[in-house]
Amino acid sequence: MNAVRERNVNAAAPENGRDRERRAPAYDAYVDEMDGDTLVIETRGLTKRYDERTAVDHVDLRVRRGEVYGFLGPNGAGKTTTLRMLLGLVRPTAGDARVVGAPAGSPAGLAKIGAMIEAPAFYPFLSGRDNLRVLAKHAGVPEARIETVLEEVGLAARAGDRFSAYSQGMKQRLGIAAALLKDPELLILDEPTNGLDPEGMLEIRELIRSLGQGRRTVLLSSHLLGEVEQICDRVGIIRAGKLVAEGTVDELRGRDWLRISAEPLEQAQSVIRRVPGVEQVSRNGRALHVTADPSHAAEINRALVSAGIAVHELRRERPGLEAIFLDLVRDHETEVHA
Amino acid sequence: MTGSIAAELMIVRKRAATWILLGIWIALAMFFGYILPYVSAPDGPEAVRQAEIADLLPGQLVSAVLEGVPFFGGVLVLILGVLIMGGEYGWGTLKTLFTQRSSRTLIVGAKLVALGIVLLGFAMATFATSALASLVIAWLEDAPVTWPSASLVLRGIGATWLIFAVWAALGVLLAAISRGTALAIGIGILYGLVIEGLMAALFDQISLVQPLVEGLLRANGYSLAATLGVSTAATQENGPGMFSGPFVSGLQATLAMAAYLIAFVAITVGLIRRRDIA
Ligand SMILES: Nc1ncnc2c1ncn2[C@@H]1O[C@H](COP(=O)(O)OP(=O)(O)OP(=O)(O)O)[C@@H](O)[C@H]1O
Ligand SMILES: [Mg+2]
Repeated sequence: MNAVRERNVNAAAPENGRDRERRAPAYDAYVDEMDGDTLVIETRGLTKRYDERTAVDHVDLRVRRGEVYGFLGPNGAGKTTTLRMLLGLVRPTAGDARVVGAPAGSPAGLAKIGAMIEAPAFYPFLSGRDNLRVLAKHAGVPEARIETVLEEVGLAARAGDRFSAYSQGMKQRLGIAAALLKDPELLILDEPTNGLDPEGMLEIRELIRSLGQGRRTVLLSSHLLGEVEQICDRVGIIRAGKLVAEGTVDELRGRDWLRISAEPLEQAQSVIRRVPGVEQVSRNGRALHVTADPSHAAEINRALVSAGIAVHELRRERPGLEAIFLDLVRDHETEVHA
Repeated sequence: MTGSIAAELMIVRKRAATWILLGIWIALAMFFGYILPYVSAPDGPEAVRQAEIADLLPGQLVSAVLEGVPFFGGVLVLILGVLIMGGEYGWGTLKTLFTQRSSRTLIVGAKLVALGIVLLGFAMATFATSALASLVIAWLEDAPVTWPSASLVLRGIGATWLIFAVWAALGVLLAAISRGTALAIGIGILYGLVIEGLMAALFDQISLVQPLVEGLLRANGYSLAATLGVSTAATQENGPGMFSGPFVSGLQATLAMAAYLIAFVAITVGLIRRRDIA
């Protein structure tokens, strides 16, 4: 965690198009005044042990109002167990959680939360619409909401079919529709795009993004890094039950770097080192990995060319979340075997 | 709460298993209660035959229905109880229900109230079809139609409901304990058919087990039926549901059944409240 946090300190967090578009001014305001009131989810030392195995280990999760928070982790890391505890389905062994201002699982809190945990679970002999009707009655939601949410997830045309006859993707859509029924302040979605086709994934991601605008908060678990990268404001990475990193996608990702392949490489390396603004140059296979603000690219190129070096490629690279994620997971594997 | 009850009623109403069980129960009640006794009524002397037929006429409606309730009816609604609760575990729908708005107690409560309403429907349907069957027999036999008093019919429906409710609640409890359907149905039928039957049969030989047998569901159910006119001779000929005593007083039987109902419901709610939902 420290490694990631340290990297954040000098990271100039490059603003990209997505971020500018996603972050309404209101969002920054929420972040600035991050006090108790803006925290939609706050857990302290949340722990769940099953016999010998600790599924969730002292997790302190803070999700702020209005953000889309990505909860990332490999299989069995404890994502679902954490979400279950936030909903009161599973009782923590230790620690506690407050969700939308109420203790986890209390009726007052649940009224403001829409959730889908693991596989969508409905009555197989009821139609999609009737399943939603059952939930609307339980939740005290006007039936008019049903058609709205069916439209929203693109299931209106098949809403009269029995749930047992749905394809996996349709079941998933119904699960999301059910989560939206209460028009909730907080949406908790456990791997929401699981089982969807690429087009469906795109649709649901856009839906989640649009839902996450304004004051609504979305907590989304996933192991699809690309997905999280695309739609989340902030990310928490959980590994073997422990929250090992937390920050915005850009913070976690670190800075862009330059990839340069040139001939001869040795000589290029020493030339680049002398260019002002270059912090570090290292060999990365048959190319050079240059840590420098990408605005120096032109200068570096000029220096190389005037030194008579042939530049084959000069590319700005963006470190993916995947690399960081895999780093964190691999760290753990060596820990386990040590 | 009313919304939750309406939701749970919708689930049972739209579930085929509910109607299949109702159909089987009504068919059993008709066949063993009316059709079989009628066609097998002895051809011998007219007086003997008339005595047999008299039990099938509208006047004996309440005892004719209640004869089959404490055992056959009980085991059938036990299956209904198991299906209603066990299905939730099989489909994983508890996690969906428990993340709506209401507390677990309220949702399980709504489920049980809905089951109670369905059982009232079962009881009334049994009385309605039996009344129809007795009417047909009266017409075939050219016998006069005299109905039992309304208060007796109401008490009959009440007793039927109470016996049903206890067995169904046992089914719900077994499903909650085993978190599923298959094991609960197996154990429920084993208990209803074998254990209760063996204990009742043993009673004939070993007087030591009498207090134990007096506590069984079958003994209390049949005792309740006996106070409403079911003859002890009839219960002894009830096939695998055979019961020859001991009988307890109507009040004791009612209290015992009510206590069972409360206990089964309380344990179910307590279990579901406490346990993690996977
Ligand atoms: N009911 C349970 N009994 C025992 N162990 C459990 C139970 N539920 C979860 N676990 C264990 O807790 C750990 C975390 O499981 P969890 O389902 O939270 O993981 P996850 O991060 O959601 O994984 P995935 O990406 O596969 O969904 C796993 O090791 C799992 O085996
Ligand atoms: Mg999971």
